[in-house]
Amino acid sequence: MLLVSSKLADEKVTIDTSSPEGTARIHVVFDKGKPATVEPASTILFMGGG
Amino acid sequence: MIKPVHNSRLFFAPIILLFLVCAGQAVTKRSPKNQERLSAEEQKVIKYLVADWGEDYSVTSVDIAMAALKMKPSDESRFRIGNHIKTHPELHEIIRRWGWVTLVLTPDEKLIARTLINADRDGKPQPTVSDIAKAVGITEVKADQGLSMLERYEIVQRAASKGAGYKVVTRYIKWEPRLDFIFHKVSLDGGRQFNTN
Repeated sequence: MLLVSSKLADEKVTIDTSSPEGTARIHVVFDKGKPATVEPASTILFMGGG
Repeated sequence: MIKPVHNSRLFFAPIILLFLVCAGQAVTKRSPKNQERLSAEEQKVIKYLVADWGEDYSVTSVDIAMAALKMKPSDESRFRIGNHIKTHPELHEIIRRWGWVTLVLTPDEKLIARTLINADRDGKPQPTVSDIAKAVGITEVKADQGLSMLERYEIVQRAASKGAGYKVVTRYIKWEPRLDFIFHKVSLDGGRQFNTN
């Protein structure tokens, strides 16, 4: 997410990832830093940490 | 009477023999079955990864590097390259920081391992190949190939009784938060692909 919102903020970026603990796959396309496609729709995106 | 030249030969023969024996042992120790010398093409993958790791937080895996170099997909090559990474942590800090497992497995293989881990953690029966294929969203043939690769890396073990399936070796079961079995693949419009963690 740090990359998507900074260095790659002007690009179209596709992220294929796994859910934190399950076996589901998540597919997200960011266009200029904003989510354009998110599958599955129930995916929750968050930034930050602690 | 023995001539001086014969004395010299008698002196050097055992030394040469000893040298040959030592050299033979060294070669044997360096070349176990699964640590064969990498081909020139496989060495290019290592070179690609070492240059890529760390760039944009990259922890790029072997399969992505092979595709980037337009190598013909081959589980054998991928295993040899992965095994080289496993046995050479001195190659890059990324191997030492994140571990070799996340760098050598494909997304499917990571999800297969996770299916087995989750079943064990939840006290459920060991999933069959059919269960794994369904959970991961791949064919049974692919699931079987993935299990074979995980077995070669000694991440899973085949159960002792025939038909009883596989189980993940103990050290990975409680491996919080199972970092090595996650993947985040980034694809850019320009064609570059890499993994992050």
